[in-house]
Amino acid sequence: MLKINDIRSGYGDVTVLHGLNIEVKHEIYAILGANGAGKSTLMKTIAKVLPLKTGEVYFKDENVSSFTPYQIAARGLAFVPQEGQIFPKMTVLENLSVGGLLLDKKSKKEKKEKMEEIFDVFPDIVQRLNQKAGSLSGGEVQMVAVGRALMQNPSLILLDEPTSGLSPKYVDNFFYKIKEIHEKKGVSVIITEQNAAKALEIADKIMVLTLGKIHLIKDAKNVDMCMIKEGYRI
Amino acid sequence: MEQLFSGYMIYSLSFLLIFIALATILHLQFSIGGIVNFGIVGFWGLGMYAFALLNLKLNIPFVPAVLLASALTGIVSMALGRIILNLDDQAVLVGTLAFATIIEYLATTEKWLTNGVMGFGTIKFPFDLGANTLFVYFLVVLVFLILLMFYVSKIKTSPYGRLLLSIKDNEILSQSLGKPTFRHKIIFFTVTCSLIGFFGAMTAPLYNYIFPRMIGPGITFTIWIALMLGGRKKLLGGFIGILATIGLFDYVIETVVPIPTQYAEMVPNVKFALYGLTLMLVLMFRPLGILGDKKREVKG
Repeated sequence: MLKINDIRSGYGDVTVLHGLNIEVKHEIYAILGANGAGKSTLMKTIAKVLPLKTGEVYFKDENVSSFTPYQIAARGLAFVPQEGQIFPKMTVLENLSVGGLLLDKKSKKEKKEKMEEIFDVFPDIVQRLNQKAGSLSGGEVQMVAVGRALMQNPSLILLDEPTSGLSPKYVDNFFYKIKEIHEKKGVSVIITEQNAAKALEIADKIMVLTLGKIHLIKDAKNVDMCMIKEGYRI
Repeated sequence: MEQLFSGYMIYSLSFLLIFIALATILHLQFSIGGIVNFGIVGFWGLGMYAFALLNLKLNIPFVPAVLLASALTGIVSMALGRIILNLDDQAVLVGTLAFATIIEYLATTEKWLTNGVMGFGTIKFPFDLGANTLFVYFLVVLVFLILLMFYVSKIKTSPYGRLLLSIKDNEILSQSLGKPTFRHKIIFFTVTCSLIGFFGAMTAPLYNYIFPRMIGPGITFTIWIALMLGGRKKLLGGFIGILATIGLFDYVIETVVPIPTQYAEMVPNVKFALYGLTLMLVLMFRPLGILGDKKREVKG
């Protein structure tokens, strides 16, 4: 699905990621690490929001290293940035419709069916469809942001710390929904998280980043919290 | 009362319609597309001069000349858009302002083409219906204004309008949704600027004779002030704003109010001072303009 070969990336002259090699298959891939480890930088680099300094990115066996954000999105990669990032002045329905811009050439019926699929996953947002997205709670914002990403009909979705700032009740529900999206919709997921215990519950593979370098990559079933915490201490 | 329906009044109302159209296009560019166009008079002047040159010097008939002038304005704005639309708002503001200055400068210096400050004419109406010519032309402009307002009212709720609003709100996020935002901004800028050029071409027969002073920065500032006064986020904001500025001062006061001759010269200068004062008051008490919502009170 996604292969990253020896990438370096960062902001201006500052290099944050130092030669990462990752391969993501059809799975839930959790990226863990302390603040400043480079998790969000990695997500932005994969989504092409940040340019590569060196290295290569392959998505569905195609070299997408020189792609723009909209080119990679059109190939089926959806990115949900940190704290959701919705269009606050638009209604929930309009936010979802904007996500479906790539379905422009499809019929209204197909778009409606896609919307219904999203309502199945997030029934709570149905009552909020005509509400301005800027007035939603943190959990609802995340649902709309993920719903909008699903409207892109993605094969891989990048979730950058989707549960930061959410109450424990929302976190549990949100992780359950992510698992559901992966299993029922067949969408691969890369998720960055501070909450390592929660990530371990749903992830197939775990990667721990430490200061822009890989501390460990393992199947989630072979990882325990001690191994993860080791990566946070440095 | 008779004065209100005189030929002069129809002539004045035709200009009013043109300025309402320009303010409406500015609303479209700024409030939906997020483009800070401070060179609106440049595109308008380019359309007007291009039309007049095509019509008078190359003898191209009215309709093709208007279309060609609009297309030329679109092409020039596309080239300008490629340079400035990837930059931040301040750069777009300065870039468009500079463009308008260049157009005014070229109209003044390129005497072989434009006859410099002396200007050129006589630009005729596309039809001759005797005493009714001006009135019919006014109706033609009115029809185009209605079509423009209909288009602007529809675009906001269309998928394309939502795309433009999303680009304005968060361009990076919009790119991540799979749309080439820069390309869409250029297309939008090109289409809207060619519309400005179109109304510029339509203005030329009303002026009859054109010269560079007509395309000075005062027009841009007046239209911006009108839009801010009326309500920049509302479809009718430009309409109300133009009525409250150009409509009130240039036509109602100058035509209806009996100003003593010795004070008549002061009107244009007092007008701009009052525009500024009114704008300050509106921004203080109704920041979103006459049609906009009232300023929210902050309690605490």
